[in-house]
Amino acid sequence: MIRIMSGADTTVAALNAERMKLEVISQNIANANVTNTPEGGPYKRKEVVFESVMNEAFKSQDGNNETPMMVKVGKVETDETPGITIHDPNHPDADAEGNVTLSNVNIHEEMVDMIMASRAYEANLSAMKYARSMAVQTLRIGRS
Amino acid sequence: MEGISQATNIMNSAMQVATQTAQQPDSFLPASMLEQADQIKQAISANDSLQTSQSTTSGEAGTSFANMLKSLAQDVSVKSAQAGEAVQGVLAGEGVPLHQAVIAAEEASVSFQLMVEVRNKLLESYQELMRMQV
Repeated sequence: MIRIMSGADTTVAALNAERMKLEVISQNIANANVTNTPEGGPYKRKEVVFESVMNEAFKSQDGNNETPMMVKVGKVETDETPGITIHDPNHPDADAEGNVTLSNVNIHEEMVDMIMASRAYEANLSAMKYARSMAVQTLRIGRS
Repeated sequence: MEGISQATNIMNSAMQVATQTAQQPDSFLPASMLEQADQIKQAISANDSLQTSQSTTSGEAGTSFANMLKSLAQDVSVKSAQAGEAVQGVLAGEGVPLHQAVIAAEEASVSFQLMVEVRNKLLESYQELMRMQV
């Protein structure tokens, strides 16, 4: 198969990873006020960890070691930091002493993470854009 | 990038063969494009530096120039089918990410442009040959 836009695979993988990160962040924000989950206890913040993988398609083609590294979501970690506890005896999830443990999601932190994920996505889109424009410009070499 | 430089190499040798054929009018018949393409292929095989660049990219299908063109056209067709599938996947809500569909479409479009460019060059060299005075 011809590879006309170099790095397209790598960029697609990176975009997938960033999109996954954005999804997890929105999940955190959506569950910020949840005090009761199926596993019991308040919602615990999730965090995406990226990892590099070799681009196998390139490896089989030339057999050298300089294969582009693709990024993928390695794992989704759970943040085990305890959330703050408030005293609210009227809350349905309050314990015997009337204390409720809230989720450990910090909205401000999540917003900053979201901006970062969104900017990283944008950066990858730019990489794609330039890869395309390089290919198209190269095709125009012979034109008068 | 590699594909493009290879195409240029092939076009250059196409021009060489075209000139050679025109210099020997007896041996030149207004043959079909494919026969001429085979001559071009021989010219490529004769040139070592060109042959290495050809063998790395064209793979097992690169037995003749015509076959190579055919596999290029097939590649473009496959890419465009993939793009179509991806777009359909997005529209049908099958969980295909939007960027994947758009990038597949772009890739199909650029490789189509490459194919058109190769065809233009081939036709240009052929017409150059036909215009030549004997």
